[in-house]
Amino acid sequence: MSIVLTRIDTRLIHGQVLEAWVPYTHADCIVVANAAVKANPLKKLMMEASVPSRVLVEIGTIEEIAEVFASGALQQRKVLLLFATTEDALAAYRHGLLFSELNLGNLHAGAGKQRLSCTLFLGSEDIGNLQSLEEAGVKISARCIPADSARPWRKLIPHKKGGAC
Amino acid sequence: MLVVDLILGALVALVCGLDRVAVLQIMISRPIVAAPLAGWLLGDIEVGLQVGLMIELLWLARLPVGAAVPPDDTQVAIAGTVLSVALGKLLGLEGIEFILLCLLVAIPFGKFGQFFDRFARTRNRRTMERAEAALEAGNLSAAELYHLSGIAKFSMAALGTYAVIVGGGVLLVPLLAPVLLSGLEHSAEWIRLALPVVGIAVVIGTINVNRSLTLFSASFGMAFLLMWLV
Amino acid sequence: MMNLSPLIRLRVWLRLFLLQGSWNFERLQGLGFFFALYPALQKLYRDEQLQQVCREHAGYFNTHPFLAPSVAGAVLEMEQRRSRNEEQAVNIQDFKEMVAAPYAAVGDAMFWGGLRPLTAGIAILFAVKGIILAPLIFLLLFNLLPFWFRIFGFIYGYRNGIRSLEFLQQHRLPDWAIRIKETAVVLLGGVSAFLVFQQLQAEQIPKGLGFLAIPLVLILALCARRGISTLLLVLLTTAIIICLSLFGFEPTAWL
Repeated sequence: MSIVLTRIDTRLIHGQVLEAWVPYTHADCIVVANAAVKANPLKKLMMEASVPSRVLVEIGTIEEIAEVFASGALQQRKVLLLFATTEDALAAYRHGLLFSELNLGNLHAGAGKQRLSCTLFLGSEDIGNLQSLEEAGVKISARCIPADSARPWRKLIPHKKGGAC
Repeated sequence: MLVVDLILGALVALVCGLDRVAVLQIMISRPIVAAPLAGWLLGDIEVGLQVGLMIELLWLARLPVGAAVPPDDTQVAIAGTVLSVALGKLLGLEGIEFILLCLLVAIPFGKFGQFFDRFARTRNRRTMERAEAALEAGNLSAAELYHLSGIAKFSMAALGTYAVIVGGGVLLVPLLAPVLLSGLEHSAEWIRLALPVVGIAVVIGTINVNRSLTLFSASFGMAFLLMWLV
Repeated sequence: MMNLSPLIRLRVWLRLFLLQGSWNFERLQGLGFFFALYPALQKLYRDEQLQQVCREHAGYFNTHPFLAPSVAGAVLEMEQRRSRNEEQAVNIQDFKEMVAAPYAAVGDAMFWGGLRPLTAGIAILFAVKGIILAPLIFLLLFNLLPFWFRIFGFIYGYRNGIRSLEFLQQHRLPDWAIRIKETAVVLLGGVSAFLVFQQLQAEQIPKGLGFLAIPLVLILALCARRGISTLLLVLLTTAIIICLSLFGFEPTAWL
């Protein structure tokens, strides 16, 4: 399989992905499955412009990206696959875009979201989505950059409010 | 005076520590600047330069990207210099062996910096919430002040890290000196070489450049040949 | 409403040096961005409108601190237009969201990933030679490019407003970042060669052995690439060197 890393990161393409994960995984293609970016040409352009030209960038909706993978067009590439939300990741998985591991990078704070670690804030739907993925056999762990150690996400769910990170 | 030296070091720790994240970011927080600065204030700029040289490259590969917090090389460098100069005066020890001993004690404590830094950033959540409440209430200049109060938390983190490293050093270095100094006698020069080289190795191992290892080897070989033969 | 005076713009620019003062995991630089813009917003808006705009700008924001002035400059220009009720192609918050992450990515690559190792390598050479001014040389060399972006990015942003985002694309900054990084790797190769050469000279060891340093560095580099921490590598290397010297493996004695 050609996917070297599947990651959920609200910020999609940014420094951690380009400076830490791309060299670590030797990825030569970044795929962003996000309908909002796809729908905004300017945003799409900016995102593409932030990546060095030797790395291929593919941006599309979940359905489009699932099709690209199904067509085998990226078979020869080492793909770094990015989602912005747990919902998108689950939707892609249900569309047949199968990945065996899922990395949780940054999920931003929001109303009703509880804090798992410094950079991860999950709501109850997020936890449900991740549970569904896990039941389907995906190994889910939290790891901001390669220099951090991977922590299984379940261990991070706090039993009481607060907690160190 | 040990106390005066420690306080002068704390001053550098505060100013340079803030440069890391909260203020300016003109790189006075880099060990190659912070350590000589501390050394200069304590009356031994040479020691500071030695420390800066050895620590600068060590964690250079750890980029402060987004929310990822690197080990606090600023405080390791400053505290390492302060320990080398101040404790050295007190114990009557000096030389590269003693500097290395101080650094070998200080380096593992760099991890504590990550803890303090994260703590400051976590505590700033409350600052942010208060500022948002102030904005909500229409009290805009209060929100400005809350932002500035965040700097106080980063100051505490810098001083906390410095205190832990210096405290640990003051306790451990005199204990370890009789045991380890003789062991370092023959190896000090090589360890002094090894520290920056490990740092360089980590940089070229993790930098986002295709074939960085090949490029490095070619450049090393070329430069070495030139120095050897010319 | 008139244009912002140069003095106000200077105040905003200066305040950007405190951008990350209240950095937190929820909004990152959000509050800092509001803090920097506040003197300008105060001039452009009044009362409830001012409060509304301030609340917007205190929301989530994160970019590279050296490129934040570019964003702030453009936002000032757009706020000026908005305060005059001019129609704009893109909403200001959308603009911020659009440029923040790409600027962050480019800034991290250029300044942290490329310029920092490059200038640190040069400074190390001066420091090894015992030149006391090495720290100042480093500060000067490093800050040239960041201040160029901090100053002219702000001016360019203010002049061009929303069109300033073309800059990143036109100048292919990510490719420049790679060039800087490649230069850094080459320079660090030279620096290591120099450090090793000096050591061999001081210990009077045949120079040819210096090439052994290449495989040693490569092994360390591969360890680092596999995720072994620097701390562990340092402690292991030091322990090995101390053990070797304790058991009498004086490199000079082999020969």
